[in-house]
Amino acid sequence: MKPIPSIEHFWKLKNFSPTKEQQQAIHHTKGPLFLTAGPGSGKTRVLLWRTLNLVVYHSVQPDEIFLSTFTEKAALQLKDGLRSLLASVTNETGRPFDISGMALGTVHSICNTIISDRRFAPEGQRRHAPNVMDELSQYFFLYNRNRWIELIDKAGFKNEEDAQRSINLFIANKNSSSRHEAVQNTLKLFNRMSEEMLDPRKIKKGDEVLLKMLLMYEHYRKLLNEQHPKIKSVDLALLQQEAHTTMTAHKNGNEVFRHVIIDEYQDTNSIQEKIFFAASEGTKNICVVGDDDQALYRFRGATVENLVEFEERCKVFLKQKPTRIDLVKNFRSRKEIVDTYNHFIQQIDWKKKRPLKGHHRIHDKVIVPHSTDKGAAVVVTSHEKPPQVAREVAQFVKDLKKQGKIEDYNQVAFLFPSLKGNSKVAAYKEAFEEIGVEVYAPRAGNFLEVEESLAVFGIFSRIFGRAQYDAEASGGLKQFYGWLGNACRFADKLIEKDKNLSNFIAEKREELKTVLSDYELLVKAADKQKWKRDELATDLQLQKLQTLSGLSEKAKKILGSQSFIWLLQRKRKEGKPFNLDYIINRVTAVDWSVMDLFYQLCGFDYFKKAFDLAEDGRDEAPVCNLALVSEYVARFMEERPSIINARFLSDNIFVKVFFSSYLYAIYRLAQSEFENADDPFPKGRVPFLTIHQSKGLEFPVVVLGSVYKRDFGVNRVEEIARELTGKKGEPLERLYDFDTMRMFYVALSRAQNLVVLPHYKGGSAATEVFKSLFEENRFTLLPKFKLAQLPAAKLHVNDLGGTYSFTGDYIAYNTCPRHYMIFRKYGFVPSRSQTMFFGSLVHQTIEDLHQLLISKRKAEAL
Amino acid sequence: MTDKEIEAKIFEFFEDNYELLRYDSGHQLTNDSRQQALEQVLMYWRKSKNIATSITNTEVKLALPDQQSPAKRPFTIEGVVDIVKEEGETWMYDIKTHDLGYIQKNKHLYEQQLSIYAHIWQNLRGQPLDHTAIISTSIPTELRDALRNPDPRAQEKAMNEWEPVVEIEKEQERIDELILEFGKTVDKIEEHEFAPPSPTKLNEKMGSKMSRGTFATRVCGNCDARFSCTSYREYAAKRSGQHMYHFKKFYIDPAPDAEQEEWMAANFDLGKLEQALNVTND
Repeated sequence: MKPIPSIEHFWKLKNFSPTKEQQQAIHHTKGPLFLTAGPGSGKTRVLLWRTLNLVVYHSVQPDEIFLSTFTEKAALQLKDGLRSLLASVTNETGRPFDISGMALGTVHSICNTIISDRRFAPEGQRRHAPNVMDELSQYFFLYNRNRWIELIDKAGFKNEEDAQRSINLFIANKNSSSRHEAVQNTLKLFNRMSEEMLDPRKIKKGDEVLLKMLLMYEHYRKLLNEQHPKIKSVDLALLQQEAHTTMTAHKNGNEVFRHVIIDEYQDTNSIQEKIFFAASEGTKNICVVGDDDQALYRFRGATVENLVEFEERCKVFLKQKPTRIDLVKNFRSRKEIVDTYNHFIQQIDWKKKRPLKGHHRIHDKVIVPHSTDKGAAVVVTSHEKPPQVAREVAQFVKDLKKQGKIEDYNQVAFLFPSLKGNSKVAAYKEAFEEIGVEVYAPRAGNFLEVEESLAVFGIFSRIFGRAQYDAEASGGLKQFYGWLGNACRFADKLIEKDKNLSNFIAEKREELKTVLSDYELLVKAADKQKWKRDELATDLQLQKLQTLSGLSEKAKKILGSQSFIWLLQRKRKEGKPFNLDYIINRVTAVDWSVMDLFYQLCGFDYFKKAFDLAEDGRDEAPVCNLALVSEYVARFMEERPSIINARFLSDNIFVKVFFSSYLYAIYRLAQSEFENADDPFPKGRVPFLTIHQSKGLEFPVVVLGSVYKRDFGVNRVEEIARELTGKKGEPLERLYDFDTMRMFYVALSRAQNLVVLPHYKGGSAATEVFKSLFEENRFTLLPKFKLAQLPAAKLHVNDLGGTYSFTGDYIAYNTCPRHYMIFRKYGFVPSRSQTMFFGSLVHQTIEDLHQLLISKRKAEAL
Repeated sequence: MTDKEIEAKIFEFFEDNYELLRYDSGHQLTNDSRQQALEQVLMYWRKSKNIATSITNTEVKLALPDQQSPAKRPFTIEGVVDIVKEEGETWMYDIKTHDLGYIQKNKHLYEQQLSIYAHIWQNLRGQPLDHTAIISTSIPTELRDALRNPDPRAQEKAMNEWEPVVEIEKEQERIDELILEFGKTVDKIEEHEFAPPSPTKLNEKMGSKMSRGTFATRVCGNCDARFSCTSYREYAAKRSGQHMYHFKKFYIDPAPDAEQEEWMAANFDLGKLEQALNVTND
């Protein structure tokens, strides 16, 4: 094997010239390391090279590294980047590096692998990975009425009304008896309990409602364990608890990982901190990277103190003081942008209240711009009402494109603290519409309100029938039916224009009518003969049913078909014969699912146009929206029955389940900032996103759509958690100030070339800090800004390039580029994934077999 | 471990994997497909025991970094193979669920793939390599028929005649050309060229005599997006000889009856239905 050239050699090869601090961080390999990394300070590169250094030069095996980050997307970037860098080393040295065994991913995905990792298992036996419920599944799990009633019974609430109202009052201080809200509030408490690892049985004193909710929590956990005999069900918070238990229960669990590296440390929570310290306890090699000024996720239980107080906590848990290195050189933004956010963050007092010493912030770091460009890079709009400001900014964006300062509209990001019910979002949308520039804002308002979603669900409603509600429906329900009405009207317009579509719908309706009438006939016939439906079906019964007069041709065909008879015979042979009820249910099922229906609809003019636009590269937005709709439809198939039959359709049950229950839940969840989706940035459109969604991203131009955030008061769950754990943390009365500053700091630091700040007249115009910044008159006014001095945006290139697999990309693309586009690029959910499932099953089992044979051989060799 | 014990292990792995995949995806496999999948693994084990027991490295991840496409895009090629080193010879295997007919017909694709993998293994990693091959786990019709035949001799004969290992020629002298081809595809993907294959291509035969079917039946037939596809619609319209909307058939699922019946049986979950019926007052 050839000798390995120095790491500097590879830096040169990859055009990387690290700063002194970056070099120190990369070369640090022993003991705890505390890396503060300001915006745009190249921390991803540092993480990549540091990991490479460990693997290549310090013979750390990839599976001895725990490397976690915040999102799947960031994890994928790390994985691709690392593969590519390591492969360059292989290229020159012939030494292979396989990182497939590395614990690299989000904390959640790593927890999942830890639980089934042989190294943590007693006697090396592999354990089942748990079934992980994401937030939506968890919501549906609890929202299920039978389960919910069971829980509130256990808690000793008088009735549903009493339970819901008490919970909503207690957690959200809202006098409401909505079950939807109560479920959401309950989940917040449950998850925080799990994240703090609190044992509900040990808490005896406290508010009466809290004690009842703790009983619910205890029972909830019991129900989760009872879901499946072999596979444990966990929510995202309990998944982490499970991993922590797995790790700490094992004798040498604290040294399986020789290096623990955590990115975005400011947004980690209490249980995660425990996991990280547990994993690094044996070796003390923990490296945390983060920026307290960019902490965003307190509302999900994150505690920025994990980072701010890392030095002290390290001393407590690992008995060692970490080395601290500050990455403060900013390579992203023009000078005035960096100067602005440095100035901005110091506008409030971060000192701890006496007698405490110190700050609630790592205050002794200042970001240094790499750029020396003295030109204006932060501009303020005219001081006007929102609609006027919006017009001014929209026109400016159009000019940016015209003057070639941006290549595509998706290089200008509009960032908002919240997209829901925000009148400014509406003002900008309107302003852009007036000048013919398209925006992409699927999460503004409710996703279900985008055109494509109205079209799909409106047509579904026309096929399955309209859900009805009674006069006493709650406000939320009325609103939902308002939406459904809009969807139906939108669908009607499409149906009117498209004869084929209207024929198609008529046929589908006819089909549904037929199965219903067949069902009635079959049940009547069985009753008349006094056949018991829960008893095994006999051949004679089948023959009689097949000749039943009035029965549809289709039903007769199924009853007489060879494949159906084979199935019956096989089931008998297997000792699992069908009863009559099953037969009747089967015969009266249609042979398509809602997912099939979705794809069939895609063939009609309105939908096909969306695909054509994407294929030609003219407009990606409609197809992106349809892909999201496909996810919702797929989700229904997972949560509810996937086969549609007469029983399901009768008494409008299907309509109730699909619309009044499933879609209604989605509708209400989508009204809150429930999702934090990685939305795409379709070409040709100006993206509107929340500041949270912009985490970790950068854009040539950033417009702050709003510089104001409402104060909703102290989060009750936070208060409860503090009471129960006795933890101190940042003072409750200062949380709003701190969090608001951090959020806008993130927004300001996303921009490369230009930030636009809105100077609104009227209420909710700006936070106090922004108001005083405007009064300082430090920024150039937008109308006076000289476009000529703005550098043109560079098209984003990934300098490591993409990774393509031979089968998944090359062959798939060359088999059918369009299929590749729809399922791989835009992420549509396929309807029947038999082929994929089949392949994975065969490959995984063969891999397990090989592993078994290899370890068997190794054992024999010993 | 006896062969019998290993087969018992295979059952166990299979059940575990099935359960996990099912739970994970929310999808089911039809009973037939499930049986077929199990059969493929078992038959692979029985037929290719000598290979399976001598695998030195399984699921080896190979990567070829620092490539550049014709349009100067950097890219990395990735793949996974199994390696056997025995008695001074090294084999590289790629296990596929494709049938032998398909593999023969599309041999050029496998040649490209294994040539690039071989290049990474030999030239970049400096590892010896003597042969590259595809192992097809798909069970040929003759063997399937023989397995149903109670006569053990018929089974043995079919088993002996089955040649699931297809040796693939490494084309090391063409490696630059192959990588260039790959790079062209990268450019097409990044430049957003996503038109479907032409209707003529849809009419082309896919496999050899052993596996019949055209592109339209084998590929499009499994594609959910066919209804909105310009090429498929043209193909379908030509076949029916009339405007596509006039024939309902276009929208009828082309799944054969037996397959449909199996799909139905696999997904027919009365328990789930009962549950749904109970939650309507949500």
